Amino acid sequence: MKISSLRFTFLSLVAMLLSVVASAQVSFTVDAPTLSAVGETLRVEFSVDAKPDNDSFRGPDFSEAGLELLAGPSQSTSRSVQWINGKESSSYRCSFTYIIMPSAEGKYTIGSASVEVDGKTYTTRPLDVEIIKEREEQGPKSLQSDTPRQQSPENRIGKDDILLRLKLSQTDVYKGEAIRASLVLYTRVDLSNIESLEMPSFNDFWSQELTFDNTPSREEYNGRIYQTYKIAEYLLSPQRSGELRIDPVKMEVIAPVTVQDNRHFDPIFGGLRTYNVKRNLTTAPLTIRVKEFPLGAPVSFNGAVGSFSMRSSMPQREIMANSAEKVEITLSGSGNLKFITTPKLRLPESFELYDTKVQDNVKVSSAGTTGSITYTYPFVARSAGEFVIEPIQFTYFDLVKGEYVTLSSERFVLTVKDDGTAASESAPTVGGYADFGGRMKQLDRDIRYIHTGKLQPRAAAIFIYSPMWWLVVVAMVALFVAIYVVMRRRIRENRNIVARRMKRADKVAVQRLRLAQRSMQEGNRHAFYEEMLRAMWGYISDKFNIPVSLLTKETIREELYRRGVSASDAEQFCLIISRADEAQYAPSTDGDMGEVYGDAIEIISKIESVVKK
Amino acid sequence: MNIYKYILCAFALCVTIGTATAAEKDVEAEAQWNEAIRAYDENRYDDAVEAFQRVAELGYGSADLYYNLGDAWFKLGQQNIASSGRPFAGGELGKAIVNYRRALRLNPAMEDARYNLDIARDYTNDTEPLPVSFITSLWRSLRDTLTANGWTAIQLVMLATALAFALGYLLSRRVALRKVCFAVTVVAAFVCLLSTALALSSRSAAEKHETAVVVCSDTTPVHASPDSASKIIRQPSQGVTVGIVREHDDWTEISFADGEKGWIRTNLIEIV
Repeated sequence: MKISSLRFTFLSLVAMLLSVVASAQVSFTVDAPTLSAVGETLRVEFSVDAKPDNDSFRGPDFSEAGLELLAGPSQSTSRSVQWINGKESSSYRCSFTYIIMPSAEGKYTIGSASVEVDGKTYTTRPLDVEIIKEREEQGPKSLQSDTPRQQSPENRIGKDDILLRLKLSQTDVYKGEAIRASLVLYTRVDLSNIESLEMPSFNDFWSQELTFDNTPSREEYNGRIYQTYKIAEYLLSPQRSGELRIDPVKMEVIAPVTVQDNRHFDPIFGGLRTYNVKRNLTTAPLTIRVKEFPLGAPVSFNGAVGSFSMRSSMPQREIMANSAEKVEITLSGSGNLKFITTPKLRLPESFELYDTKVQDNVKVSSAGTTGSITYTYPFVARSAGEFVIEPIQFTYFDLVKGEYVTLSSERFVLTVKDDGTAASESAPTVGGYADFGGRMKQLDRDIRYIHTGKLQPRAAAIFIYSPMWWLVVVAMVALFVAIYVVMRRRIRENRNIVARRMKRADKVAVQRLRLAQRSMQEGNRHAFYEEMLRAMWGYISDKFNIPVSLLTKETIREELYRRGVSASDAEQFCLIISRADEAQYAPSTDGDMGEVYGDAIEIISKIESVVKK
Repeated sequence: MNIYKYILCAFALCVTIGTATAAEKDVEAEAQWNEAIRAYDENRYDDAVEAFQRVAELGYGSADLYYNLGDAWFKLGQQNIASSGRPFAGGELGKAIVNYRRALRLNPAMEDARYNLDIARDYTNDTEPLPVSFITSLWRSLRDTLTANGWTAIQLVMLATALAFALGYLLSRRVALRKVCFAVTVVAAFVCLLSTALALSSRSAAEKHETAVVVCSDTTPVHASPDSASKIIRQPSQGVTVGIVREHDDWTEISFADGEKGWIRTNLIEIV
């Protein structure tokens, strides 16, 4: 037991010592251009930042690698001492330089060199060097290359000697996917100044300028080796789909050109003059194809692209009513984090959701946008009970898999305890509707329940234009026609009877009066008055086509008046009827009968003359 | 004599068998219907779909049946999230919508079907239909308040009323009565003609199978011509309702709600 702990202490001590030694380690490095052309001299420098032991440097064997050694190794040392705030620091540098000349194109490996410092041996890593054969230059320069003196300064710089390129990491992307755009200046001549630089506006893109490593490097382009300088680097994110164009970048650079001036030949200075040559550079216009997302996007998809993960939390699972609680989700990953719209949290009806707090920790680098966003959803539960907080859904488009991925937060169950006041505000939920403040609120929608009645025989056939329909319609029309025809005939017949009766009314009356007259002559009083009454009632009935049963003295008076008979005559007619009525059963003299008879004839003829038709 | 007897016997047998099979069908349909409702209640939506479909195959395709079938498909599609990771992975949404539309074709006044169709359509990428004139939309909404038979009933009642009051007008001699009869006749005749037009319009809407619904679960390519090498002009999701223009081999020309036309494989759509 004891021994093992001792051993542990010892081991950790050794580890500490080792780390101290490591921090004071000597660095021994090799430096050479990794890209070079055939016929160009190549400088390989091994440097060590401590004083090497004498004659301990062992250089690599170049001839073995197929490289021709022109000179070297030449040793040079430098030493600098610095005092900063009274503290002295010194640096020492010793370098061994070789000049080599590659004779053929290909990939070469510079072997490792070794050096000893304080008896300790350090070696460099082998370095790969690529040698290419440069394309012959075309154009006027190559034609006149043998007479450089006659060239104007502008012609000394070839068309392809200075180039400006906007390099895109990809040109076929989805909406929201990140593209790295770097503006690189390629040059084969020395440049003194950048006069002006006009960056495009990157319409339809969200763009963010990046910090970048601006050490120049050598690069091969179109078969030639250039010195390259990164001017600017952007992270672009297309905001709409379709073919998006990036306008050319314009740049003006100045290159100093030194030429021999024949006219002002100076024996001391050799007549060399330096001209500043201006060059306008533009990049080629670029097109980026932005693809639309595939169909079938889930509802929770809001344009997030990349690769994300979600964490969710809720500090407490049991709270008092009317107290605050929060749900927190953190989305982390890489993609268009800056454009993520806040995912929606759906809370039970009696909860009050406050403004969502968004905290982001997003870093934009050349690799894209990475980091995390934390959404905090504070809420207050108003009523007691056990509630389920539905998971927050977040969908993004996974570029690697090429499909939608939906992340869900945890499904929290929250118990809200009654605090005494909650009861008054609590909302009893009935059938999916919560009664809140007196009015119903729609909580959710779902399809309605099936119809569970008895199975209907079959879909009812469409009735219109079916034989049965025609039958019904024809029957109705036939019935109509039949009723009309029958009724019409009866009416016409009726009308004829009435007309005849009306025409014959006075004749009938005359006949009846004659009968009455006979009764009078026979002295039969009862029969006389009876005939008289019948003649008079019958006359009116026939004349005006009113059934006798409906006749009263009142109706007679009215009817006569309507037919234009004077009121006194109508009264006279009624008076005669009254007299006949009274006299029928009353004892009376014979003279009365004659008087009544005469009056009746007189009034009927009077009426007859007034009522012609 | 004997031959007649045999023929009579055979005829009687045929009639008996016919009636018997019809009765058997009735019994089976009734049983399947009850089984389907039970399965639906117990959340066995796949069984419910199967049983309702069997009822439809037996010839009991009523508006209620198609409505229930639509519900069962919809619920099945939601239930299958667990197994397939997304709702309606098997084209259930398209099936639900085509059945809701069938229910509405048979009974345009079925409010529940319209409501559920509305919900189901939220899950599709169906385009908004071209706007129709105010008169057309008014006409359609009036027409869809009743079925074709409903309108026919109104038509016949109004015809009877018009004829009765026409008789009154023609035969009566009293002026006031004749005035009333005339007014009633004119109104009834107008309503009769209107309901006739509505019944005919409703009938043609119910009888024409001129719409279809995309039932394929994945995004369905719609080509510019009946050739799979031609350009894909649209990708409707399942449940998108299209009009049928014409057919050519196993391709169908369809028109979208916004007027765009294209060709689709006939097996990817189901006619309402």
